[in-house]
Amino acid sequence: MSYIVPIGPYHPALEEPIHAKLYTEGEVIKDAEVFVGYNHRGIEKLATERNAIQTLVLVERVCGICSHSHAFTYAMAVENINGITPPKRGEYIRVITAELERLHSHFLWLGIACHIIGHDSMFMHIWDERELVMDLLEEMTGNRVNYAMVTIGGSRRDISDELRVKILAACDTLEEKLKRITEIAVTDKTIALRTKGVGTLPRDVALKMGAIGPHARASGVDVDVRRDSPYSAYGDFEFGVPVVDSGDVYARVVIRALESAESIKIIRQALENLPEGPINLGNKLVKIQDGVFVARHEAPRGQLSYMVVGNGSLYNHRVSIHVPSYKNTPTIPAMLRGNTVADAGLIVASIDPCFSCLDR
Amino acid sequence: MQEYKRIPIGKDQIVPVAERMKKEGRFLVMIHGYIDKEGQTVLSYEYAVDPDIESYCVTGENTVPSIGEIYDTAATWPEREINELFGVVFEGLDMSQRLFLPEDMLETQGKGHIMVTPLSELVEKNKKEAKQ
Repeated sequence: MSYIVPIGPYHPALEEPIHAKLYTEGEVIKDAEVFVGYNHRGIEKLATERNAIQTLVLVERVCGICSHSHAFTYAMAVENINGITPPKRGEYIRVITAELERLHSHFLWLGIACHIIGHDSMFMHIWDERELVMDLLEEMTGNRVNYAMVTIGGSRRDISDELRVKILAACDTLEEKLKRITEIAVTDKTIALRTKGVGTLPRDVALKMGAIGPHARASGVDVDVRRDSPYSAYGDFEFGVPVVDSGDVYARVVIRALESAESIKIIRQALENLPEGPINLGNKLVKIQDGVFVARHEAPRGQLSYMVVGNGSLYNHRVSIHVPSYKNTPTIPAMLRGNTVADAGLIVASIDPCFSCLDR
Repeated sequence: MQEYKRIPIGKDQIVPVAERMKKEGRFLVMIHGYIDKEGQTVLSYEYAVDPDIESYCVTGENTVPSIGEIYDTAATWPEREINELFGVVFEGLDMSQRLFLPEDMLETQGKGHIMVTPLSELVEKNKKEAKQ
């Protein structure tokens, strides 16, 4: 019997609105379509009537999870147009915030994935660890969500010696807890039964459709902007880029656990070698010079790009924002085909989608 | 350090450049669109030639060939978005469905008024419609 099963725009397994149509034969999904745009807020349009500092505030609100990534990437684009080089200490603080953000984003997704498959004890265990990261971010920035750590020409807040020691000590705790989480993720039977062989995206399809970030790395595509095109202070640190070949939901769980360990390595190196000096160039409101730049940053979900066009005034002529979910969402139908309706919610969630980012 | 190299091309070179980049295994970072100060539509095809970005720009064209056959959804989604926001027609692209704009704005799809009309005018228009 053939049915068309709609999922969303509002569904218990979806954290944000998206609409998927599943074309089924019995329990099996034969084909699928996705529809986006339910969170479209016209942010790019709003940015054309704001100055650089106002835009930082605006773009941080594109997403509640990777807010720092948005401000970081926008600032890089404007700095490149204007020929501004932020001080080294400011760049290190940006990187530390970005990697803490990656940790809390990956823990959030790992927890949600466990919750969807019904492994709630693991969900709580992971979110307990995430809370430690959130506390550090709150102490460092004053906020749990929109950190406001970036300004044009550096960072807005410094890291005191006392806080530096505290974050370093927290890295030890996080590393210890993460080892246990990774061990459970890799060996637990419940996780394996619900995720192995589910929602597979083969490497060739991932490459063809331009998948990026942990989603692509879980399908064997070795790509990471931090390593391939070092920016900010990333060139100063040694870190690995884990790649897993199986391309299923299980691989997406494993890759995020492994990447979290690499983020802790980067944070530790940055804190141990935190340069002396100013954190920014004085927080002056800059005119955005006549020019164009496309900046890229490896956000928690993958490559985030900002194109900024300046026209010599205080305001942006054009800001174009493209997030990792923009590239990864079109792969959902390819992952759904051949799977059962019961796994559809998990498969859609497995790309770690951010539809408010995607729609802007 | 990321460098950004802009290379002007004609619309007849869009497909050959995309084919060359695909053959070299380059990622299509994005296709961007904007209206420049002279009022001309600019399309820039950004390819990751690590560690840099090579940006192939086409200026003043409102009908261009689609590269969806070469880069699949990595190209067709931005093309659909640019069609909605700027009214650029991509030959060979299926533009029968909306991507981001609400369904009740389908009659304006492809006419490109969103990014061209000043925000103040859009706000006034919404106020008038709300009163009616």
